[in-house]
Amino acid sequence: MLALDVRHLNKTYPNFQLKDVSFQLEQGYIMGFIGANGAGKTTTIKSILNMIHIDSGEVHILGKNVAEHETALKQDIGYAFGGIDFYTRSKIKTLTEVIKKFYANWDDETYYNYLRRFKLEENKKIVELSTGMRVKYSLAIALSHGAKLLILDEPTSGLDPVARDELLDIFQGLVADGEISILFSTHITSDLEKCADFITYIDNGQIINSAEKEEFVGSYRLLNGSESDLPLVKEKLISYKVNSFGFTGLIHTEDFDPSSDIKSAIPSLEDIMVYFAKKEAAYV
Amino acid sequence: MYNLVMKDLKLGVNPLYFIMPLILGALMLIPGWIYFIVILYFCWITVPNMFAGFNTQNDLMFTTMMPVTKKDIVKARVFVIVLLELLHIVMAMIFGFINTRLYPNLTHYFFGPYMGFWGLCFVMLALFNIIFIPMYYKTAYKYGKAMLVSVAAAMLFAGLAQWIGIQSSFVSDIFNGNGADHAALQISILIGGIVIFTAFTIMAYRVAVKRFLKVEI
Repeated sequence: MLALDVRHLNKTYPNFQLKDVSFQLEQGYIMGFIGANGAGKTTTIKSILNMIHIDSGEVHILGKNVAEHETALKQDIGYAFGGIDFYTRSKIKTLTEVIKKFYANWDDETYYNYLRRFKLEENKKIVELSTGMRVKYSLAIALSHGAKLLILDEPTSGLDPVARDELLDIFQGLVADGEISILFSTHITSDLEKCADFITYIDNGQIINSAEKEEFVGSYRLLNGSESDLPLVKEKLISYKVNSFGFTGLIHTEDFDPSSDIKSAIPSLEDIMVYFAKKEAAYV
Repeated sequence: MYNLVMKDLKLGVNPLYFIMPLILGALMLIPGWIYFIVILYFCWITVPNMFAGFNTQNDLMFTTMMPVTKKDIVKARVFVIVLLELLHIVMAMIFGFINTRLYPNLTHYFFGPYMGFWGLCFVMLALFNIIFIPMYYKTAYKYGKAMLVSVAAAMLFAGLAQWIGIQSSFVSDIFNGNGADHAALQISILIGGIVIFTAFTIMAYRVAVKRFLKVEI
C-alpha cells in the first residue's frame, strides 16, 4: 500500500511556483526529500497536510484523500517541523496532557516508554530542551498516538553528528516492522545516504527525480576530464565547473558514453544537488 | 471543540485573565463612575495581551497540527472570548449589586448599575465581537488593526449612549430615574441586549470561519 501518494500538485505564489509535484512513498520505507533552501520542500509538506490551498492536484495518505478526510487522517500522521516551537515555556507534562486528549488511539504506556528511551524529563520545559531533544519529543508524541506516517521537516538540521546518527538509527528502527513510513526533508544529504530507501529531489518547485536511492544516484555520472575533453560532452552536461586541472560535471547516465576517455564516477547526493543548483544559476 | 477549549484554558490563556474579571469587577464599587469603563477594560487589557500571547506561543501552528477542523478552531476561540466576556459582565453585575446596597441614596450622573445598563454593555460587546472576530480571522495572526477598530466602535457606542443618557431626560429616566424601579422594563432591556449580543456573536463566528478557511498557515 502507498503511505503517501502526491499527484500533480500545483501552487503559484507571486515569486515561486510548485509545478506538477508528484511522488509516491510505499508503506514501511523512509523517503528523503531533498532540495536547497527555498526549493519548495516545506511548501510541499504544507500542501500534503492541507495547511495551504493548492491550485490543483491531489494528495492521498494511506489510501485516503487528504482534502476529504483531513481530521481522520491527522490521527494517523505524526509530524515535526524541526522540533517543537510552540508553548515553549510550558512543561512537557502540561503539553502532553493537552495533546493526548486530541488523539483517539493515545497510549500512555508507549509514551512513557519513549520518554525513558529518549531520556526526556517530564518536568522540563520545552525551552530547556536541546534541538535534538525537541525532535525526540515530537517523535514520542507521534508514536504514542499510533502514527503510521511520520512527516518530518528538517528533523536533523541543527543537530550535532552524534545526535543525528542516533536519530537516524531511531528512524531505521521505526520502519523495520513495515508499518510506519517516514518522509523527511533535509538539506543534509549525508543523512539520507545513511538511512533513506527512496530519494525525492525537488529543485525550484519541480521534482527533478524520485526513485529508489541506488537507482537515483545511479542515474547520474560525475565526469572528471581535461579541458580539451569538455567540448565533447559540454552540450550534454547538466552543469560543470572548470578549474586549473580540467573540468568536473554532472551528466545523465544515459547521455554518457562509457567508452570515452573521460573519467566517470557515481556522484554523491550532494554532488547532484550542487550541480543542479548550478544549472539553475546558469539560466538566471 | 471541547479539547480545543481546554487547550486554551490550560495553555493558551494566562490564568491572570480569568482573575481579571474579579479584580476589575471591584471597580464597580467606585460611586457614581462611568461604569462602561469597567467592561471596556476587557477590550483594553485582556484582548491585546491574550492575542499577543497566542502569537508568541505559536498557537496557530500548534492548533493546526492537531486533528481538528478549522471550523472547530474558530468555534473554540470564539467560545473562550465569550466566556471571558460573560465572566467580566457577571462579576461586574455582582459588584454592581453590592454598589446599590452600599450607596442606596446616590444620585447617578452617569448610568447606574441597573439591569438596563447591563443590557447596554451586552450591546457594546456585541459590537466589539462583530468587528474584532471577523477582522482577526482574515489572518488569524494580526490582531492590532482589528482591535483598534473594534475597541473604537465599542467606545464610540459607550460614549454616545452615555451622552444621550445625560442629555435626554427621557433616556435618563429609563436607565436611572423612575425606570430603574420598573423590573419588567429593566429586564426587557437586558434581554434585548443579550439577544443582540448572541446574534452578533454568531454572525461574527460565521464570517470568521469563512475567512479562516482561506488562511494559509
